[in-house]
Amino acid sequence: MTFYGALTILMYAIAPYAWWLVAGAVFLVILHIVAYLRGYQITHYRCNGALIVSGLVGLSAIAWIPMMTNSQLSYIATASDWVALISGVVGIFILAYLLLHPASYLVREKT
Amino acid sequence: MSYRQVTLSRRQLLKTGAGLSASTLFFSPLSANTVDTQAHIVIMGGGASGMAMANRLASRLRGGKITLIEPRETHHYQPGWTMVASGVWNNPDKTMRPNAQFVPQGITWVREYAAGVDAENRLVELANGEVLSYDYLIVATGIQLNYHLIEGMSPDLVGQHGIGSVYASIEAASRTRQAIKTWVDSGGGKGIFTAAPTPVKCAGAPLKMTFTTLSHLEDSGRREAFDVDYMTPGTGLFSQPWVDDFVRERFTQQNVNIRHQFRLSAVDPQAKQAEFTFVGPESEFTSHHELRAAEYQREGLSTVVSDYDFLHVVPPMSAHDFIKQSDLIAQEGPYRGEWIDVDIHTLQHKRYPEVFGIGDVIGAPINKTAASVKAQAPIVEENLIAVMQGQEPPARHRGYTSCPLITGIGKAMLVEFGYEDDFAFMPSFPFIDPKDESWAVWVMKDRMLQPAYYAVLEGQA
Repeated sequence: MTFYGALTILMYAIAPYAWWLVAGAVFLVILHIVAYLRGYQITHYRCNGALIVSGLVGLSAIAWIPMMTNSQLSYIATASDWVALISGVVGIFILAYLLLHPASYLVREKT
Repeated sequence: MSYRQVTLSRRQLLKTGAGLSASTLFFSPLSANTVDTQAHIVIMGGGASGMAMANRLASRLRGGKITLIEPRETHHYQPGWTMVASGVWNNPDKTMRPNAQFVPQGITWVREYAAGVDAENRLVELANGEVLSYDYLIVATGIQLNYHLIEGMSPDLVGQHGIGSVYASIEAASRTRQAIKTWVDSGGGKGIFTAAPTPVKCAGAPLKMTFTTLSHLEDSGRREAFDVDYMTPGTGLFSQPWVDDFVRERFTQQNVNIRHQFRLSAVDPQAKQAEFTFVGPESEFTSHHELRAAEYQREGLSTVVSDYDFLHVVPPMSAHDFIKQSDLIAQEGPYRGEWIDVDIHTLQHKRYPEVFGIGDVIGAPINKTAASVKAQAPIVEENLIAVMQGQEPPARHRGYTSCPLITGIGKAMLVEFGYEDDFAFMPSFPFIDPKDESWAVWVMKDRMLQPAYYAVLEGQA
């Protein structure tokens, strides 16, 4: 398959969710910009709560990612299944952390 | 018929994404080595195979003329119909897109039905009486559903009297879903799933409908109240031997009664009764390649009549009648009278070298799937261009076909195989074992194969 072919498949796959993805990315960027303007630095600010909650959100994805795909956890059977699921869990964890970490900074700063 | 516009199409995305647009400039398919020609190429049929060929040839050829004969304005993603009929996809419109989205620029799109082919004189007749001449012809007319060969059966009955049939149309797939739901909600009774005495498109679909319905029955918590029969004219359940054994074992585990060498011969919808004719081991029906009108008329064959609460009908299939009446049809061998006569490796017609066949219409032991089109389209492209340049067809199709065999709602097996070594597996991904039931494969079927299909239509995959 050519690069253009892979790109074509990817574009068709994300097309139904494109505006959601764009809106989510814009929201995340704005959140980080606002927090940054108020002194937030991702490498210097510590918040164990954000880390723990993000971890829990990530772990919960083990249950709801299969459900969201019209499947169930008991059907995760092969090595490929587990790699795909764990990748999803890690992705959800990172996303949740990128959201909660600056958000917690803004909340603390306000209080 | 309506279809929902997707909020942002692939083409729009390519236009709006600056970085991605830059990529398209560098990787444009138009940069492929083009071929000059003055020939007129006619493509009959704008389904998966015809549309893929239109896009491929529009990119490869400079000069000449390409005519696509396709009467329908809407393109149907037929591999999604089992997802609709099984209740996984709630929005049938998801399977439909305007054909105009895929027809390439620079070709002539004739919105008319083809009605005949005169291969001796290189002519295609249209339903409106017009005649087109061609230098090269690509036959991609797909398949004809012969419900009329089952007495009392009509696609209009789908959704009524407990009858389902995923093949008839997207509307029929939706009505099949309702018929299954009605049966499951009734709390018990007998369901009969059938297979056809001919090659069928997506040969896994009858099995998928059985497996997904079994999921619904098991989820109802009253599985023991339901009887499930699987009636098949042949001695096997699937072409690929390992998968055949697997399905047989799984059906046994899930209490499905398998009965071989029975074809569905009649339906009495009012009485909810189905008649099955025992075709016997000597029947040509038992060769899954063959369909013989004479066999349908044989008298004195033993029949059984069975009551049902749900009946899934898989009709006999063949090339369209106007193809069967043309010079292109096979005149001997296992595909005689029913499918076009191409070399199964080069896909060139055996008697008319300027004619190629692709997709469901060809006579081949397997290969009536959208995935087969993905493998066949580059072969036809390369071989047609070689023939146009006076060369022998260099490319060979190994019979690649693929069936994401759904074995329950939420899991599937990626069964890929070809002609050689008794339909040996031809896996595309080293990390996916075709013998494993897998969630990842299910997600692929649910979310990724439709985008891949559209890429095939655009000639990009």
